[in-house]
Formats: sequence, structure tokens, C-alpha cells
Amino acid sequence: MARALRVRVDRTVCVGNAMCTTIAPGVFALNDDRQSEAVNPAGDTEEKILEAAENCPVSAIVVEDAETGERLFPMMRARSNGPTARSPR
Amino acid sequence: MDTAIHDDLFAPDVIADPYGYFGRLREEDPVHWNAKYELWIITRYDDIVWLIRHPELFSSEVFKRDPRPPYPPIPEADVDVYSFVRQFFGDFFIQHDRPSHTEMRTVVHGYFTPKAMESWRPMVRAAIKDLLDEAEAQGQMDVMQDFATPLPVLVIARMLGLPQQDRRFIRELAQKLLFIGRGDPNRMRPLTDGIKGLVEYLSPLVEERLAHPGDDLLSVLASGEKRGAYSREEVLANAVLLLFAGHETTINLICNGTLALIRHPQQWALLQHDPALAVPATEECLRYDPPVKSLQRIAADDVERRGKVLRKLERARWFIPSANWDPEKFSEPDRFDITRDPNPHVAFGSGVHHCLGATLARVEGQEAFAALVERFPALHLATEELEYQPSITFRSLKALPVTWN
Repeated sequence: MARALRVRVDRTVCVGNAMCTTIAPGVFALNDDRQSEAVNPAGDTEEKILEAAENCPVSAIVVEDAETGERLFPMMRARSNGPTARSPR
Repeated sequence: MDTAIHDDLFAPDVIADPYGYFGRLREEDPVHWNAKYELWIITRYDDIVWLIRHPELFSSEVFKRDPRPPYPPIPEADVDVYSFVRQFFGDFFIQHDRPSHTEMRTVVHGYFTPKAMESWRPMVRAAIKDLLDEAEAQGQMDVMQDFATPLPVLVIARMLGLPQQDRRFIRELAQKLLFIGRGDPNRMRPLTDGIKGLVEYLSPLVEERLAHPGDDLLSVLASGEKRGAYSREEVLANAVLLLFAGHETTINLICNGTLALIRHPQQWALLQHDPALAVPATEECLRYDPPVKSLQRIAADDVERRGKVLRKLERARWFIPSANWDPEKFSEPDRFDITRDPNPHVAFGSGVHHCLGATLARVEGQEAFAALVERFPALHLATEELEYQPSITFRSLKALPVTWN
């Protein structure tokens, strides 16, 4: 059986681009504010959920292993608007 | 004294200071009927977010569905040329509604993910270094002509996989497309020349990518034809779109942001001491003086907002500067603060049409601002006389001459 996931959409970041609801419609749905919510973390395959997270233009989707808490997405930073910080020179 | 709000969106005072004019509208008449151009002007942050997140109420098929003539008016003799432009622009995926918008956008969306764009950062950084090396040797530059204009074309041409030796040619044609947003009555002819030149140039390249697909953006777009999401005409129109959509917009991000940083020396110094601030600084530049001033939708049905009724097929234009300076959403909105957090500006719009190239623009802005403060710590304006293009679509400086001695 597939592992259980914890899926969360950061509402302070979500712009309602709705790519996640297109890619994984079993998991994500738009609310009245037209922002995405993870209504059913088991509604699609892990692959589809990670694809939805990666395709979020503002990286608003956080995916974790529900049991171990391991962060599956995003990998690098807790929250990113895309960029990583430059290394000081 | 006459205190009524005039409706001349192209008046010099409105062009010079959109924050004053649209800020006043936001306070006094946030859903305003502009009788001169026959359109609704939407200026509050929450109204704008509501409008652009309801694409079923406000259609993006503006070129196809707008029954009214173009504005500012064009010469009678250019009406045929306009109908060509209208049809061509109507093929842009951003001018589609769901469901075809989703099908078309999905083809290219995966190319522009935050992760994918991050991998282009070293290339962007190298292109910036080359341009600034050239400028440094001159001892002065026009940030607009010498830096901000060539950069986005260099980057997108690389992504599309266009031959390096074609760059000058592409830049010249792309320059003509900039006429779309600049209120010049004679804009239709150069625009049409630019479109036709680019289509002629891109046609054989698309043909070749269909036969021998690579991993470049043009191949990705052309694959949409095989999938049935695009016709050939639509592939070509959207190749033109990808080439120029990030052009004027990135120019303005870099110029307006550089100007804001120059005019706020303390913020400039902050960025100099901590280059990691290039990330929030770019967000603040996008908020404080956004590249795009306004965009338009067409009411798909009768809709009510704040006691006004927008009738089916009426124009609704939403103004980013007034949303980004809305005191209901941002504290001290007129303060330029590169550490501002959170910063939910709408410079890239919102909803299903949220800018496809947003992350690329962010990377370009971050790298450009970080490089400028590092290499030219004493950068200052060579003149205080700055002028803006008479456009309501873009917030475009005509030039930004600077020195550093």
C-alpha cells in the first residue's frame, strides 16, 4: 500500500493558479477565495501530488510523509518564492 | 476649483504619477466608469484579486470579444492592419479562457517551474556579467538600452534554442512589438511588421523542431501541435508571445527597480551589505513600481460590484499600481522597504492567468539588482529629467542614464 502523505497549501502564498487542481484533482480543490486546499491527501498518487507541488508557480504546496514527517517537497527550503539566497561573496 | 476626476488616462500627470491618480480613484470611486474610453477602472486590491480569480465572470478573450474600437484611437487607414493584429493576438494562450487556456498553458507551464528556472540562474548571471563588463568599459550607461533591454532577449532566445548569431535580428523585431503597449496612434504598422518578420523567421524553426524535437522551449511549444492543443498558427503566435512577453516587462522591472534603489540610498546600502536581500528586494521593486500598469478583461455576463453593474461585454481594466499601494493591504504602502514581509503584491496578477514567466523575471531581477549594487556602489542618476512612455499597459521609462564616478 502507498504511504500516507500530509499535504498542505500555504494560503499566504497561494495565488490560485489552479495548476494543482488540474494535475491532481482528487487532492486539490479551490475554495470560495479561489485558493487551493488539499481536501483529500489520498485522492491521487504520490507521483501526481509531487508533480502538482513542483508545478505550483509560487511553491505554495508542502508535501510530507505522514508517518515519519519527512519533507518530500519542497526539498531545499521551507518556503520559497522560487529563488535561493545568493552566497555571500 | 474643479475636483472631479478627469478621465484622460494618457494625460501627462497620470503618466508621470499613476499612484496619485489611481490612488485617488481607489479612495473615491474604486469601481469607476471611464466615459472617455468606455471602460471600468478597478483600483482596490481585494476587488482586483476577486476579478482576476473569477475568469468565468471576466473573460481574457479581449481581442476576440471586445466590441469597441482600440484606444487610444488609431488612424482610419490602419483598421485592416488592426484586424490582423487582433486575430494574431487572439491566438495567444493568455487570450484564451478555460478550457482551451488550460490545455494550451499546460504545454509550456512545466518549462517554467521554480525548480526549472533556478537551473537557469547561472546563465542569467553570466549574461548580466557580460553586459555590465561592456557598460563598465564605457564609464556610463543607459540602464534601459544597455542593460535592461538586451538581457531578457538574450535569456529567452537561449531558452527557445535560437541561433546565437540571430540575436541582433531578433532584438530589432522584438523592439517593434514593444509598440503594442505604447499609446502611439501609429503603433499598428510597426507592430504588424514585427509580427510578420518574427513569424517568417520562426516558421522554418518550428518545422524543424517538429521533425527533430530537442529539449528547448520552442520544441516544447511545438509539441503542443502534436498533442492537439495548438494549431500551427497558434504555435507561431505563441512563440512570438514567449519571445516578447518577458521583454518590456523585464525591462521595466530592472529600470523601475534600479530607480527605486537609487532614490532610496539606505535601501541600496542594505542590499549592498546583504546580497541575500536581493530576493525580498525584487519583490518590493515589483510592488513599489510594478512593470505592468494595467490589464483588461471583458465582462462575460452582467456582474455587480460595490453597487455598480458591469454589463456583459464591457471592458474592465485593473490597475496594479493602486492595488500594490492599497493601505488596506500594505502598511505604509508608499514606503520602499526591501525587507517587507509578507509582500503579496499583484505585479504578476493572480489566478489561472498568473504570469507564466514570474519565476524567470524574479531570477533576472534578483541577479540584476545584486550585480548592480556590487559592481557600481556609487551608481547615481545622470539626469533628474526622467520620462515615461505614454502607456496605460506598461510603466516604462524612456531612458535611465546613470554614472558611477
